[in-house]
Amino acid sequence: MSAAGRSRFAGLLWVLPWLIGLCVFFLAPMGLGAYYSMTDYTMLEPPLWVGLDNYASLASDPVFHRAVLNTIVYAAFVIPLSVVLALAIAGLLDVDSRLSRLVRVLVFTPTVVPLVASAMIWLWLFNGDHGLINAVLHMLGLSGPNWLGERGFAMAALVVMALWSIGQPVVIYLAALQDVPRELYEAGQLDGMGPVRRFVHVAMPSIAPAVFFNVIIQTITAWQVFAAPYIMTEGGPDRSTYFYSHYLYDNAFLFQRMGYASAMAWVQLMLIAACILAIYAVTRKLWSTGT
Amino acid sequence: MTGDGAERRSVLDLSRRATLGVIAAGAAGFALFGPRPRQDVPKDRVVLDYWEKWTGAEGLAMQRLVDRFNESQSEIFVRYLSIGSIDQKAMIAVAGRSPPDILGLWSFNIPSFAEAGALMPLDELAARRGIVPADYAQAVWPMLTHRDRLWSLISTCGTVALYINDDRLAEAGLAGAPAPTTIEELDALSDALIERRPTGDIEKLGFIHTDPGWWSWLWGYHFGGSLLDEQTNTATASAPENVRAYEWAQSYPKKYGSRELIKFQSGVGFYGTAQAPYLTGRVGLTIQGPWMANLIQAFEPDLNYRVVPMPTIASIADASRPVGLVDGDVLTIPAGAREPEASFAFIAWMQEQKQIEEIATAHAKNSPLASVSDAFIAGHPNRGITAHNAIAGSDRAFRFPKTRVWPRYVSEFDAAFQRLWLLQDEPASMLASINTRAQDALDQAAAMHARRHA
Repeated sequence: MSAAGRSRFAGLLWVLPWLIGLCVFFLAPMGLGAYYSMTDYTMLEPPLWVGLDNYASLASDPVFHRAVLNTIVYAAFVIPLSVVLALAIAGLLDVDSRLSRLVRVLVFTPTVVPLVASAMIWLWLFNGDHGLINAVLHMLGLSGPNWLGERGFAMAALVVMALWSIGQPVVIYLAALQDVPRELYEAGQLDGMGPVRRFVHVAMPSIAPAVFFNVIIQTITAWQVFAAPYIMTEGGPDRSTYFYSHYLYDNAFLFQRMGYASAMAWVQLMLIAACILAIYAVTRKLWSTGT
Repeated sequence: MTGDGAERRSVLDLSRRATLGVIAAGAAGFALFGPRPRQDVPKDRVVLDYWEKWTGAEGLAMQRLVDRFNESQSEIFVRYLSIGSIDQKAMIAVAGRSPPDILGLWSFNIPSFAEAGALMPLDELAARRGIVPADYAQAVWPMLTHRDRLWSLISTCGTVALYINDDRLAEAGLAGAPAPTTIEELDALSDALIERRPTGDIEKLGFIHTDPGWWSWLWGYHFGGSLLDEQTNTATASAPENVRAYEWAQSYPKKYGSRELIKFQSGVGFYGTAQAPYLTGRVGLTIQGPWMANLIQAFEPDLNYRVVPMPTIASIADASRPVGLVDGDVLTIPAGAREPEASFAFIAWMQEQKQIEEIATAHAKNSPLASVSDAFIAGHPNRGITAHNAIAGSDRAFRFPKTRVWPRYVSEFDAAFQRLWLLQDEPASMLASINTRAQDALDQAAAMHARRHA
């Protein structure tokens, strides 16, 4: 074997574990999922070919429509709010002081709390009768709602909980902000810009790739939201917090409809891909027009 | 050789050495700490893996029985394994053709597992050992069968009854009040137990349909209704009896206030904790299984309570034929199990009165057998165990409807019941919508079953 051949062989050998992992744990399940999505598969019986019936059923399934709508509403609130909030916090923390270092740690801490534990904490905070949030509202002379027991409020509560753990985007924005050359801020200051205008017109264009990255990640996360609503509301009241992944899970493991769940998984992938392409197209347009 | 080549070779040499080192370390680790046969499994016996859902004290009680079985003979050795979400894991094990030898399921799993051919029918094995329907309480045998075949035998059984907190009744000046036997009497007692705060919020309640909230679907049975005609595979959720039952259920948020009830519910503790509303007296009447005694023993051992069958509407009330849900934990042999005869030997041994009563006592459940010993009643931790036994022996006890789409059916009920409770739907339209969805699911499952077996 030639030196180049040996080198290629050695390279292949080194990436082989990863390649095996890719094939066994990613490509093969995806391929099988695509096949199962065109079958009636209970897992206890061999899959039965039904063609595109599962996809057709999705089109007329009101619970599926509700789950999609709930997920879109959730994403429509969580993504922009978390971008704005994380940017604002990162902007405020973009100074080198002891206090800002402490606040950075505090902002990031919720990210390392296990999701189940934080869901339990929020379950009590949102408690309609003894919850801290309603106690504060009561002190202000307001009557708090049954956060997790009433339609509308339950969704709002889950959005608030999602905003609690924005430590990760804050850290990314902060890192991006710290890469912005100080001279640009100084130039803006000389041109008479205040802190807000400097942030909008100097910092924002520089950290746009970081914002783009975070929006993509949060779009994927929002479409896959599962654990917190599963624990806190179980999809209720009246399926008002029944999200896509929860319905998918129920179909797969509770209703023994693995074929239907596989079709849902593929549709979910397509929906996420469509969202990302839309974000990408909008971003390109904004960039090309200099906005 | 160029400098670059020498460097590359040295990197490759280092990599080879590192790779060999990692492989050698892995092999050494596997040899030292890897899996090895358990020391306590006798070599000359048939070893059976028994998957069961119980952990903690319930699991230990079963483990004691398993140990006793292992000591009682010299041919079979049963290994007890506690498995969480057992039905889902069993499904995957069966799909992967690696099922356990004995599988403990819930009775409502039987239709889906049996129809899929994932269980072994037990008719012949049971007949050979003389196990017959007459051995069991009236409501129990139908729970073990599906489409005229026997798929399981019982391990434990629980019926659902009304629990009355007598301390709460005394506090409300109702000491010694007779237990309600009709829905109308239950309403009257419940109304007498409500206590509000100055703000109008509810402090204490009598009865509430959402405590513990596990059975949103069962109220129709107490009005003479049912949810499935098993002969014709027809959903009967929208039957007039059920409509009447859910009109009754909705009368509670209507009279007590939907918002107030939801707020009350969010402020009480969870079942299984010391803050469970029945234990703290915030709910005076609740429906529960006999296992409630374990909770009372753990957190409120001095609680004065009574257990009676859940009332029915007056027109069908009959104290000698109580109405109530009967549910069970069942023992099955998965299709493809290696040693079915040996597996059944253990299951049959478990059906003996001594074992059945021991596990029922440890789990604080009623006996599933037709014959119940005096010692069982006398030593049972639940003072109302006779009420639970009476339900199991009643011809009007009901069980989970036998259909493989039951989880879908019940999920429709859970969502719709919340809508009803929020006063956002009328019972008749709610039940009609459930009926349509359930019938669709039933028809779909039947069509697929027919195609598979064509």
